[in-house]
Amino acid sequence: MSAPGGGGAYSFSLTTFSPSGKLVQIEHALAAVSGGQTSLGIKAKNGVVLATEKKTPSPLVDDSSLEKVAMICPNIGFVYAGMGPDYRVLVAKARKIAQSYWKVYGEYPPVKVLVADVAAVMQKATQSGGVRPYGISLLVCGWDNHRGQSLYQIDPSGSFWAWKASAIGKNMSNAKTFLEKRYSDDISLEDAIHTALLTLKEGFEGEMTEKTIEIGIASVPTAEQMEVKSGERLPATFRKLSEAEVRDYLAL
Amino acid sequence: MSVKDPITGGSGIGFDFSNHARNQHLGARMGGLPKATSTGTTIVGVKFGGGDSGVEEGVCLGADTRATGGPIVADKNCEKIHYIADHIRCCGAGTAADTEFVTNLISSNIELHALSTGRKPQVVTAMTMLKQYLFQYQGHVGAYLVIGGVDNTGSHLFTVAAHGSTDKLPYVTMGSGSMAAMAVFESSFKEHMTRQEAIDLVARAIRSGVFNDLGSGSNVDVCIIKKDKTEMLRNYEMPNERGEKTRQYKFRRGTTAWTKEDVRSLVVSETTTPVAAPLAAEAMDIS
Amino acid sequence: MGSPMEMNGGSVIAMTGKDCVAIASDLRLGQQAVGLSADFEKVFPINNQLYVGLPGFATDTYTLREHLRFRVNMYRMKEEREITPKTFAHLLSSTLYEKRFGPYFIEPVIAGIPAPSAIDPDPKPFICNMDTIGCITTPKDFVVAGTATDKLYGVAEGLWEPDLEPEDLFETISQTLLAAVDRDCISGWGAVVHVITKDKIITRHLKGRMD
Repeated sequence: MSAPGGGGAYSFSLTTFSPSGKLVQIEHALAAVSGGQTSLGIKAKNGVVLATEKKTPSPLVDDSSLEKVAMICPNIGFVYAGMGPDYRVLVAKARKIAQSYWKVYGEYPPVKVLVADVAAVMQKATQSGGVRPYGISLLVCGWDNHRGQSLYQIDPSGSFWAWKASAIGKNMSNAKTFLEKRYSDDISLEDAIHTALLTLKEGFEGEMTEKTIEIGIASVPTAEQMEVKSGERLPATFRKLSEAEVRDYLAL
Repeated sequence: MSVKDPITGGSGIGFDFSNHARNQHLGARMGGLPKATSTGTTIVGVKFGGGDSGVEEGVCLGADTRATGGPIVADKNCEKIHYIADHIRCCGAGTAADTEFVTNLISSNIELHALSTGRKPQVVTAMTMLKQYLFQYQGHVGAYLVIGGVDNTGSHLFTVAAHGSTDKLPYVTMGSGSMAAMAVFESSFKEHMTRQEAIDLVARAIRSGVFNDLGSGSNVDVCIIKKDKTEMLRNYEMPNERGEKTRQYKFRRGTTAWTKEDVRSLVVSETTTPVAAPLAAEAMDIS
Repeated sequence: MGSPMEMNGGSVIAMTGKDCVAIASDLRLGQQAVGLSADFEKVFPINNQLYVGLPGFATDTYTLREHLRFRVNMYRMKEEREITPKTFAHLLSSTLYEKRFGPYFIEPVIAGIPAPSAIDPDPKPFICNMDTIGCITTPKDFVVAGTATDKLYGVAEGLWEPDLEPEDLFETISQTLLAAVDRDCISGWGAVVHVITKDKIITRHLKGRMD
């Protein structure tokens, strides 16, 4: 089978080992991630929050079309740091993966299964001919019946981990230090949202407003909400906060 | 050559014809291939409200709940009003598996469409996706549908037939009970009905199918779709409830003679027996 | 000659009870009217509390059983959990529908009890059946399939009642199956019944007519 990008036998992977055993293409991809705007996620005892800064390079940019936090399926959401175009490609692929899982099993994938499948897509780009690795790291949050609420990070290499709290992008090391100090295992989702905003505020250039912040939350549903009603779908456990909601959180 | 998916063993997208030649051979040799469950059905839809009536416009869908396999009733209370999106629903008649899978497929594609456009999908979009898919299979995917919903452009009602043709009408019926139901609509339909008038008319049309068409039966399901609310009235009418048995038909325990029994307990019980410490002389030589 | 569905004979039935389900099949394998075997089981375990019956064309019974074993093993490894009855039903349904235009000649029956979870601590017993192309029906009472379908429907409709205890359910499903297959030339030759409860599975081989 020919590799994506075509070229058949004459296409070879751009990602090749250096004599010291490094894949410099992947390190460059990670550098692209470290240059990206900061995103973070916190797992709470009744949900997960994703937050990111969304700054435009010029005040002339119409920011209404920009979307950084994306719903993949009703129980899972993504946010990223790195290259926007690569993110949109992965979001489209992830949504397709979630839908094909639904068509086979009649339910949406557990977070870990979707994460593993998306990570496989990213890994493939480190070993295939004619392609470059994805220039992004992802934070994935969601809820499922099997493992409850969870937060994962996927890197350009295709490796992934589960986190209690993590940050990616330009300010990640400061943010992680901040989160380490602030995190506790019994934090509520409400508190986690505030902590997320406080963390972003550290090293935030310019003003934090509902236009320059995006938030997504996954919440743990009640048994009643997960009851199957005839002719209806289960309610979504992931949602993005509206601009009005973000404004209210910022005002507090 | 098709690429086989290592997990499903199928082609991954669309249908897998790998058994087709074998089955044609078996069918020709042995006469007749089995018939799939079909929904010899009554399904209907009407538009209501709108115009100058002052009644909020909407769509009311209805269906019976009998599924048949030949002359046998395969399911006495099945669901024929399928979910496409929150504000779009679809009644299915014809081959039951086809109506189930084609509505699931379009529901899935509509959800992807909604996520990528960030808008509420339109009813025509769902209808067009359905007709293009069904036309592609030249009627072999045997789904006969009534699709209705309310979107930003108003309320809409369509029928889609298995070959891909569609109709847009204020009141529609489909399935083997379509004539019985249409007789009710033709005599009693009026424009700009109230919500309750529409429900009553739809329920009467379905009842007409239930009692006059052998392929339709059991209960009446109704669905009302308005701009920001969809109500699924499952088993809105149950005119064919079975009488309660007057006595029990339980067998005395031990009635059935059996030759062999195997009980697999899922409760794992463990007993821990403390073992005395080994004597120094018996200690293992680990030098 | 009959269709592949009537080539080998055989029938399966499943019923719900109070916190339990039962699934049973006959044991005959034939080549049309000629009986070949009296130990051809058509009901297979998927996991501890989930069984599937695959009556119909015997070669497809095996093909489908092996395919499902593969799919469920892959699921178990990938998802690090056991498949629930409902999820398994969807998996089987989409597997069958993929072969919409060249189906397996099998009408599956599924019976199981889902494992309790945080969201659903007290799950209800699950039964369902499908046609050859994967259209699921999930009634509250009982499901049947195979060459004695018509008779099984009739007898079960008369004998089934709600909330039977496991031992009573065993009697009801056994008597239903035996009565129905006695009126079917190509089903019978003994039967096997599995009663699934929260903490154990009782499997019994029944004494049936051998003619």
